Amino acid sequence: MISEAADKAGRSAPPAHLSVGNINKRFGGVQALDGVAFEVARGEVMALVGDNGAGKSTLMKILAGAYVADEGDFSLDGNRISINSPQDATALGIQIVYQDLALCENLDVAANLSLGAEPVKPGWRFLPRFLRPIDDLLMEKKALQAIDQLEVRTLKSVRAKVGGLSGGQRQAIAIARAVGADSSVVLLDEPTAALGVVQTRQVLDVVKRLRDTDHAVVYISHNLRDIFEVADRITVLRHGANVGTWQTSQTTPDEIVVAMTAGVTTGSNHAA
Amino acid sequence: MRETRFGSFVPVLFALVAIWLWFGITEPAFLSPRNFYFLFMQSAVVGTLAVGITVVLLLGDIDLSAAATAGVCAALMAVLIVAGVPGIPAALIAMALGVVMGLCQGMLVSYVGIPSFVVTLAGLLGFQGLMLKILGIQGAVNMRDPIIRGITTVSLPPLLGWLIGSACVLIFITVILTIQRRRKAQQLELESTGALFGQILFFAVLVLGTVAMLNSYRGVPLLVILLLSLTALLGWITTSTPFGRALFAVGGNAESARRVGINVKRIRVAAFAIVGLMAAIGGIVGASRYASVSFNAFAGGPLLLEAIGAAVIGGTSLFGGRGSVWNAILGALVIGSLGNGLDLSGASAADKLMFSGAILLLAVAIDAVSRNGANQST
Repeated sequence: MISEAADKAGRSAPPAHLSVGNINKRFGGVQALDGVAFEVARGEVMALVGDNGAGKSTLMKILAGAYVADEGDFSLDGNRISINSPQDATALGIQIVYQDLALCENLDVAANLSLGAEPVKPGWRFLPRFLRPIDDLLMEKKALQAIDQLEVRTLKSVRAKVGGLSGGQRQAIAIARAVGADSSVVLLDEPTAALGVVQTRQVLDVVKRLRDTDHAVVYISHNLRDIFEVADRITVLRHGANVGTWQTSQTTPDEIVVAMTAGVTTGSNHAA
Repeated sequence: MRETRFGSFVPVLFALVAIWLWFGITEPAFLSPRNFYFLFMQSAVVGTLAVGITVVLLLGDIDLSAAATAGVCAALMAVLIVAGVPGIPAALIAMALGVVMGLCQGMLVSYVGIPSFVVTLAGLLGFQGLMLKILGIQGAVNMRDPIIRGITTVSLPPLLGWLIGSACVLIFITVILTIQRRRKAQQLELESTGALFGQILFFAVLVLGTVAMLNSYRGVPLLVILLLSLTALLGWITTSTPFGRALFAVGGNAESARRVGINVKRIRVAAFAIVGLMAAIGGIVGASRYASVSFNAFAGGPLLLEAIGAAVIGGTSLFGGRGSVWNAILGALVIGSLGNGLDLSGASAADKLMFSGAILLLAVAIDAVSRNGANQST
């Protein structure tokens, strides 16, 4: 059904990379998600919108393994998978960038990018891995690569402490950290929420670069202007259930607002 | 731009030089090689503890029990030696005890979730009691073992001192130039040639000057070599290994560290084990230096407060994530110089306490101001 709809909607009609269906999640007496379906393809930015309490954060956390769905079908490139922990998600190449970026301000950009997986120098086999010398040069090279890939031009040095960077640069670094870990799906939670105009532009450029480098990007936001700029498709949730999925090029902000607040009754031109 | 290797040294080094100049002018005896020799020896116990405490401060924790741990370990060693155990095994047992005491406190902090301030405050009280129990009614045991005494009484022959000093300088130059060459080969950003030679010159003057001065009295004390090697090892671990990076990461943002898969609890336990080990070594050094282990030398508070003060004067943040074990040594020298200089000028105990308080406050104020400056420069 999904592919048929995508055919109708035209544009790229990409085959889904990550696709989930029939997701149910209860918190005590509250049905947070009720039979939700969602998909994202490689080389695509899929926006996930909805009013507060619509269930988008819950869905995001289920995809990232932070919550476990009560029920649900998960597949990656057509293969059935299960996501029961953040480690599962990481192993499958699904990375989440939370709203609080969780960077170490006292460390430099390069150290943040390889935190927890620092490259160590060869040799030194007599020491356990956590006591072998870090290969600083390799670490810096990797950081430069990651930053170049996302074309973060305002960053002068990967040896600058994160504490001295702007909000947009930090967001870019958090995204670079997620991408650096061999990920194919990147989940972004309100990446521009606390940013000014210039910084927002920087981050949107980074998101576009992610799409251009063949990542599947899930973009949660309240800001419809940003969404209409970067997203290829928009999935709308309401009261923990799907309202629909639209091609950005074939809808308007007004229509999305109506879908978010009142739901949709006619299946006029939406794509799923 | 990243700080250069000596960037964070500057404030505490200025403080040290200022204190030396002041006492050098008012008390000419202060700058004599003989006095410097004693200054180094006096600062050794505080320095050892301060280096250990720095490691837990990096996490944003604190260890109030370090001095009491040192006391318990020294007492155990002294009692073992009196009972006929040779010096080296007794010292090793004391060090193992220090690690175990640190591990226990670390587990209470990480796995039970009690704040480190409370755990180690309880440790401070409990360990002081334990120390009294081990030492018995007299509250002191003499230390006659020649090997243990030798730690603080042996000095190296002048030639050996020069050799070790020159070797250090040569290694430093080789390492710095190799790094620079590799960076150039991989087209990474380079440090300016001026800064490079500045660092080399600074290091060479510091090392060779110290050797020259100590040689003109008794030679370089074995203790100085031991302590500096230990600090170099810990300095390397904290700045250049994944474990050290994890220490800074947990201190900077524990949530971030947890999300990238660092086992925050285990890191914390390891840090407390390290401070336990350093405390035990400090206890052994103290026992050697005072030729006895007495309750008053370790308990009560002055030693602990001086050690924490030394770490903080060295620029290590009490909030975690920033600091260096090398700076702890410099901080210990600042506190030692202050005490030594005030003694020479015949200051009363009251003056000494007030001066120490003022210096500590000044150091923390400089730290706070420089941090604000760094944040505003964005």
